[in-house]
Amino acid sequence: MLNTMLLSTKITLAAAALLPSAAGPAQDAGQDAAPTRSHTVHAETLYTSAGDSIRNALIVVDDGKIAAVSPGVEATRDAIRAKVVTAGMIDASARINVGLRSVEQGSEITPEVESRFGIDPFDARWARLARSGVTTAFVAPLNQNCIGGFGTVVKTAGGADLVGRTVESARMICGAIGSQPSQRNSPAFGRPSGLYNRRPTTRMGVEWEWRQSFFDAGQTPAEDANERTRTLQDALAGRVGVFVQAWATQDIRTAVFLKEELMREGFGELQLVVDCAAEAWREIDMLKRTGTAVVLPPLPSQGRTRDSALMPLDTAHRLVEAGVDVCLSAHAGDNPGARLDVQAGFAMRGGLDRAQALRAVTAVPARVLGIADRVGTVEVGKDADLVLWNGEPFEITSRPVGVLVGGELVVDPRD
Amino acid sequence: MNSTLHPMRAGVLLGAVLLSGSALAAPQVSKTAIKAGTVMTLDGDPIENGVIVIEGGRVKAVGAAADIEIPWDATVIDQPDLVAFPGYVEAHVARGIDRANETLDVAPFLDVRDSIDPVNFYFEEALRNGLVAINVSQGVDTVIAGQSRVVQPFGMMVEDMTIKPKSGITMSAAPRRGKTRAIQAQLLRGAFDDLERYLREMVQRRKDGDDFDRREALYQGREIEGEDAEGRALQSEAWSIEGFELVPRGEVDEKRAPLLAVIENRMTAFVYCGSPMDVHTALRVADDNGFTKSTVLYLDASCWKAAERVKSAGVSVILSPSLTHVDRDPITGEEIETFVPKVYHDAGVPFALASTSDAQRSLWFQAAQCVANGVPRAAALAAVTSTPASILGLEERFGAIRPGSDGSVVLLSGDPLSVTSVVQHVVLAGEHVYDRAKDVRVKLLLDGTRPPGTSADEPEEEPYEGDGDDGTDDDEDEGENG
Repeated sequence: MLNTMLLSTKITLAAAALLPSAAGPAQDAGQDAAPTRSHTVHAETLYTSAGDSIRNALIVVDDGKIAAVSPGVEATRDAIRAKVVTAGMIDASARINVGLRSVEQGSEITPEVESRFGIDPFDARWARLARSGVTTAFVAPLNQNCIGGFGTVVKTAGGADLVGRTVESARMICGAIGSQPSQRNSPAFGRPSGLYNRRPTTRMGVEWEWRQSFFDAGQTPAEDANERTRTLQDALAGRVGVFVQAWATQDIRTAVFLKEELMREGFGELQLVVDCAAEAWREIDMLKRTGTAVVLPPLPSQGRTRDSALMPLDTAHRLVEAGVDVCLSAHAGDNPGARLDVQAGFAMRGGLDRAQALRAVTAVPARVLGIADRVGTVEVGKDADLVLWNGEPFEITSRPVGVLVGGELVVDPRD
Repeated sequence: MNSTLHPMRAGVLLGAVLLSGSALAAPQVSKTAIKAGTVMTLDGDPIENGVIVIEGGRVKAVGAAADIEIPWDATVIDQPDLVAFPGYVEAHVARGIDRANETLDVAPFLDVRDSIDPVNFYFEEALRNGLVAINVSQGVDTVIAGQSRVVQPFGMMVEDMTIKPKSGITMSAAPRRGKTRAIQAQLLRGAFDDLERYLREMVQRRKDGDDFDRREALYQGREIEGEDAEGRALQSEAWSIEGFELVPRGEVDEKRAPLLAVIENRMTAFVYCGSPMDVHTALRVADDNGFTKSTVLYLDASCWKAAERVKSAGVSVILSPSLTHVDRDPITGEEIETFVPKVYHDAGVPFALASTSDAQRSLWFQAAQCVANGVPRAAALAAVTSTPASILGLEERFGAIRPGSDGSVVLLSGDPLSVTSVVQHVVLAGEHVYDRAKDVRVKLLLDGTRPPGTSADEPEEEPYEGDGDDGTDDDEDEGENG
């Protein structure tokens, strides 16, 4: 009786659905028993993230890929219908890792460590993220040391193991500049050389660790380089990106100055992405000059974010207008109510138009993360990561009612 | 023609006007007229090019511009691009006060009046979000807390802010920190048992000719005259106390009087439930003591499971800020999400929504979420306007713009539930108290700048032009961090 009045969305954990037992007798590809990855979706309006919106679009999904997008077509009988369809959203700074243990703290500089080994594919937050319309997430190691290691791009559903869900992306080493890496490290008061003593204890120390490691790597001959040094050398050569968490102006400057300093010294050019760039709006010219992309943290309640960085409502708007690559993030995983579509809505409140807001959660992060060949837009040949909305995207009066990840219907709007 | 007037004569004329104004016997009534592109009255269809005339703090007339005559002496707020809206009503919040909870378990004699801080940042934030009436209460980490008060988010003194004093008493059926459910329920029931025992003893003392209660009342500084000097039989639907009419009402200890008002249905009881099982405790206590009809349940998201019980009790509910309840199946790990307001809407239980503590997610946000999850728009709007107003007994004054209602109007840049709409102006009881263009703090929140003259010590910002080799660069954000 009660059940009939519920609007409850039952979402089977992606993991549960794809366990071998659920898939019947184990087969090499599991193609026959796995949920179908071919669908037809009809959108009254399709926002492709790659140009104008399309009215009455029929999207044919075949084996996880978008096979055709036909404009001005009526819905076929078997089509899944939606008011609006967009590409699956990408959270460029998801926090779905296994807590403090997801960053190696044996050293302050651990660029060679892979964060994907600290990710739990069975974490219920993945399913939650998928339900909220986020189909791809970038997970960086936690900010407890200076350079934590390689981040991982993961689909939020569609496979029991991470291998199947990992998206081949630009390789990026992730780290933090600011107060976080030195937090909880004991300062040299009392007994400075205790067992639990750890450096750095200040911003200066954090910056020193960064500079020293890159200068050392730059000066090390290739034949002497160990894996750690090689990784840093790859970063200097631009083969590996550098994804730096920096909230406040001073920390954003530190990151950019370091890049410029290394260039002046002839060591190479870092490909920078500034994560949590709450105060990026104060240094727009600097970011533009250096071609630095930013990932913005969730809009704070009262202007102040971490490190007292001030993030006004029009932050995304100003950066986008100036031509900076802006990705939005809800820091999914940090709190259960985190929703990327709401962050996009707030960016609209700050002045972005809907198309710009949409790009900041789809096409731009796809480009910044180096996965634009697979996701970020609704185009033929791309992964069939689609969000079906019951109204205009990013209005709080709308929500994702259907989600496809790699062609698999993770949330069925017909339920 | 003014320019041709001699300044001296202009002064004389002005004086004459002022004099004649005061010489006429009619009391000065402040008049405000709001002309808006759209007036959403929430009492019928929206009016295009509408006019609202407010006199003496109350709405005198509302209608299309063509039908309404604006008094010649009214202050006119002319905003053809904006949407006029009745403003939001917050049914229960423990903010704007210094500390939410008393350490005493049972303290119904306390009045939140004494802890409301008019300059608390919360009220500024509330005004910015278009809240026009707020029921400020103590928190729910309590057994029986003090009396709440409905205020407007404007005024320098609690009295100036007050819309309705003693608007209710907050109780909790959910265990206080450090207590078990059993002891919580026992304490809640026990408070009413204590009251009953006290009242019986009072009657007995009266019959014995003992004037202890009179002396105690005088000692507390209370006048016992008029109605207070008389006794009245207990107006309870559940209790009978023989001979209570012998006791002058003024003799009832002021520490006991608030609960007496609750069982006589003269005071609303806001009862918090942290889980579905608390709903049964709350409703049983209310039922046993005859105050179900003046009970409002303040419900945690998980309580949707008790929706049928709530419905059968016929009470209204206030939904705590988290609107989606997530249940995890302990065996399969399957998560089941329930959008809570939809459950109550479908069950026909009147519900009010509560703001989150995030300033960006005020009542408009909560109502908009309801629309996204299938609650009809009118019902979602009612949950932040008329329903909370009627929960607070203020349905005549708030929740709609109609003749006789309070002249509280919020002017929005667009539809109230749109993510891009912001509050541009707030008029409270005819007084224009908020103008976003003059909101210094919102300017900082909006674009990170301060209007000139609003910060004393901040140096001019200079864009950085260097090449990275800069050890002397001052951090301009230092001033704001301080």
